[in-house]
Amino acid sequence: MITPPELHLTAVLPIVIVAIGSMAILMGEVFLSRASTVLGRKATDIWVGSVLGFASMAFLALALYAAWGAFVGGTTQVFNASHPLLQLDRFSALISAVVALASLLSIALSISYLAELRINHGEYYALILLATTGMMLMVTAIDLLTVFLGLELMSVPIYVLAGFDRRKLRSNESALKYFLIGSFASALLLYGMALLYGTCGGTSFAEIRAGLDPSNPMALIGVGLVIVGFAFKISSVPFHQWTPDVYEGAPSAVTAFMSVTVKTAAFAALLRLLLLAFGSLEASLTNVLWVIAALSVVVGNVMAVIQDNVKRLLAYSSIAHAGYLLIGFVAGTPAGYSAVVFYLIVYMFMNLGAFAVVVALANHGKDCERIESFAGLARSRPGLAALMTLFMVSLTGIPGTAGFMAKFTIFAAAVNAGVIWLTILGVLMSVVSVYYYLRIPVLMYMREPGEEAPRMEIATGEALVLIVCAVAVLFLGIFPNDGSIYFFGEIPLLDWARESLEPLFAS
Amino acid sequence: MGLLDEYLLSFITFFPLATGVGLLATSALASLRGSAGLPAPLWRAVALGSTTLTFLLSLRLFTAFDPTRTGFQFTEHVPWIPDYGINYFVAIDGISLLMVVLTTFLVPIVLLASWNDIERSVRTYVFFMLFLETGMLGAFVSLNLFAFYLFWELMLIPMYFIIGIWGGPRRIYAAVKFFLFTMFGSMLMLVAVLVVYYLSYEQTGRLNFDLVAPPGSQLPALLDTQIPLTGEAVWWRTQFWLFAAFGLAFAIKVPMVPFHTWLPDAHVEAPTAGSVILAGVLLKMGTYGFLRFGLPLFPAAAVEFTPWIVGLALVGILYGSLVAMVQSDVKKLVAYSSVAHLGFVMLGIFCFNTQGVSGSVLQMVNHGVSTGALFVLVGMLYERRHTRQISDFGGLAKPMPVYAAFFGIVVMSSIGLPMLNGFVGEFLILLGAFLAHPLAAVLATLGVVLAAVYMLWMYRRVMFGPVEISENRSLVDLGVREKVVMLAMLIPIFWIGVHPETFLRRIEPSVIELLRQVEERRAVGPTPGVEMEAEAEPAEPPPPAAAEPTEVEEPP
Repeated sequence: MITPPELHLTAVLPIVIVAIGSMAILMGEVFLSRASTVLGRKATDIWVGSVLGFASMAFLALALYAAWGAFVGGTTQVFNASHPLLQLDRFSALISAVVALASLLSIALSISYLAELRINHGEYYALILLATTGMMLMVTAIDLLTVFLGLELMSVPIYVLAGFDRRKLRSNESALKYFLIGSFASALLLYGMALLYGTCGGTSFAEIRAGLDPSNPMALIGVGLVIVGFAFKISSVPFHQWTPDVYEGAPSAVTAFMSVTVKTAAFAALLRLLLLAFGSLEASLTNVLWVIAALSVVVGNVMAVIQDNVKRLLAYSSIAHAGYLLIGFVAGTPAGYSAVVFYLIVYMFMNLGAFAVVVALANHGKDCERIESFAGLARSRPGLAALMTLFMVSLTGIPGTAGFMAKFTIFAAAVNAGVIWLTILGVLMSVVSVYYYLRIPVLMYMREPGEEAPRMEIATGEALVLIVCAVAVLFLGIFPNDGSIYFFGEIPLLDWARESLEPLFAS
Repeated sequence: MGLLDEYLLSFITFFPLATGVGLLATSALASLRGSAGLPAPLWRAVALGSTTLTFLLSLRLFTAFDPTRTGFQFTEHVPWIPDYGINYFVAIDGISLLMVVLTTFLVPIVLLASWNDIERSVRTYVFFMLFLETGMLGAFVSLNLFAFYLFWELMLIPMYFIIGIWGGPRRIYAAVKFFLFTMFGSMLMLVAVLVVYYLSYEQTGRLNFDLVAPPGSQLPALLDTQIPLTGEAVWWRTQFWLFAAFGLAFAIKVPMVPFHTWLPDAHVEAPTAGSVILAGVLLKMGTYGFLRFGLPLFPAAAVEFTPWIVGLALVGILYGSLVAMVQSDVKKLVAYSSVAHLGFVMLGIFCFNTQGVSGSVLQMVNHGVSTGALFVLVGMLYERRHTRQISDFGGLAKPMPVYAAFFGIVVMSSIGLPMLNGFVGEFLILLGAFLAHPLAAVLATLGVVLAAVYMLWMYRRVMFGPVEISENRSLVDLGVREKVVMLAMLIPIFWIGVHPETFLRRIEPSVIELLRQVEERRAVGPTPGVEMEAEAEPAEPPPPAAAEPTEVEEPP
């Protein structure tokens, strides 16, 4: 007799909301664009796109609320206890909430940008929601199969998004390159998973943890390939070459979206894998991660120095930040991992803010991405210049901003774990980063304006994203743990980061 | 005045920034309503008023400070990020008191001196100045190592913009160089800060950044940390390396000789206001850092480093003077004279006796006032002639007698004429040096002579002789505003020269206390180091050692 499985639907509630949202948007697009008038208004492309954009933001807000509720509720729920594939715990709830927030902000940033580029189609929002579904799936997974499912569900929509500006050659190139290299990485990942299945006799994290034999070369190769697959997604050296090209070619709003969400989700999933599945290999993995972290920090920062394109510069900077985040992994202590979680949240705000400025400067579909086009911006757009300076200062890690607190927690954990040399390398490379991050304020404040006239008006969505990011960067920089904002209540982010990891350490 | 007195330090520290933010808010409001906002002169006036008020409050601090008490006064201690042991902990002793007064004194002066100098983006400039003042004051009053580091880095940003936006032709190069040099040192210091932090955590089981225990608390503070000194190999001599990291950050800021190359660029390219603040206050951050953190935290290593630092200080004095002598640009000459003067300060600190260290603290103030005044004077000349080459001048005493008189007094103060401020500081430093390092003292005295040579020679070439260049004949003498600026700067020059007791009375108890701490902890230093090792070896297997801290307290 077949017993019906015991399902906890609440464990997948955020995922379900976003997934339903993406379907609804797709359907909505079809219906709305067929209708010549909707609610008495003429259904122009831009109007339809905006409506769908707002609808998708509503779905994400709902998912954010659900994920947040799960985080505050604090219970660990397995979706299907007899066959555990997904487990909603405080960690996955927190990361899901962060990813939902980042996607929501990215959409707020996109609506007017897409309208300018004349590509304000409903698919865009559906694809973002699908990618978000994949990310949530990936960070909720406790089985290699669901990890892979989530990873692909995240990646495929982003390949499409990278080429969304389909009339532009560079956008197409970006999509193709990302697709080819991304599928290659996925293949390696899958091969690694197959080897792990072969040696451990199962795909769930628990089975792998139990069956992983460090002396078995097959198992080691499997783990290595899985790490390589993730190293592609988090764009760490030596698996980083796609990053600058893809970031440069993709429409700026898409770059903003993928630079923060993919990184957050992939790092979170990697963290789960390391803690829940590969725990017994900790010592040997630490060495591998040490090398990847050191290479990423050095290559990312040094290569960023010679970039002339802001998006490429931010791409290399994201490689460098992947390196800093990996230092937290190398530390390998609870403090190190919670620093990683804190860093990811902070990075979301500061990087999204920096890209929001790039988007807000895009003029009639032409990206303002050459670094020279920032010259003299402090005159024409003093507000944007000040915000860009804030985000650059935060990415550099100057005290008073969230970027410093993030680096501080990472380095503090690393020093405590005795990882002194990597920390010294990290701080020295931060000095290098001063040079390229501050080049933008130098141009904005210390040079005369060039011929290119920047866009003079700002869309509401862009302003909203900029304000949210700037407030978050300043607030978390000064009160990373003990601040409270009227209406939001207390925001002990460092505590949240620490608490979110408790279920992972408990098992 | 009860409430004000209780929070006097916080008020002094944050009042300038609050003014700046308030001004920004008015302009943001104005732009939302579509109007132009407050006019730039009003910004200047408000900033001048607020910084003058800050100065008056710091005078209240100066008079209310009780020189008979050792230890810290005007303490405020508020938890900030308690999980990490990060507190808002401000207090002053005699040393930081003088630095605070110096800072609050110089900022209104430069705002007034740069009234006509800065023409572009005046509002931004005023905001950065106010921001900078809060950054500097915060670094001087913080007793929490984290907060100190925060302010230390934070003040780079406004200074960077002040040099980069309103500076001379090579301003961007100079600004970036300044930032990179300082950042390099401070990032290594950050690692050292973290190491000290965790050493203290291992020993006390408490995460803490407070340098000393806050009043009313008996808990161990950073200064009670025993930092292992001895070790088999040089690599394991923790205290040695920690002092090296802190010392590098401070030495770059001072600057000591091999790390001084950012200084001439930054000073020359910066606008007058920037040069005055750089020379007057920012350089003092380095020497202050040695006094407040370097010596008390790592006394044994500091003593071990003494021959090197004294050597470099001497090189700074002699090399700085010799290079100053051959400069053709007046501003560059003043910049190199700073290297020499700061060499004296470092020499005095590393005498480890009351005379030397008190002299150094006083000389820090002297240098701030005298060199600040020199930069202001050079700036006034530059405003008139748009050149700073000595060869473009000559005989200025004829068209500008008042200017020449002020310049003369300041030059005398800078070379240490008795009855003026420079003499007292240099005399005390040399006195201390003769007790501690006689040979160094002899060589340093040579530096005093060289200072007289380059300063007086420059003065002669600029002021005396016939007026050979026709443009110089019609130069206008100082106006009322400029006279006010200079007269204000002469007050401390004469006061310290005639009655240094006012200042020394406040410095000395703190210096004696500091030296007592150094001596006490140096004597204790090696022994616990050995003990620590003896303890560390059985505890060496990682599992118990690694597991223990997590059980004692949840590390964040």
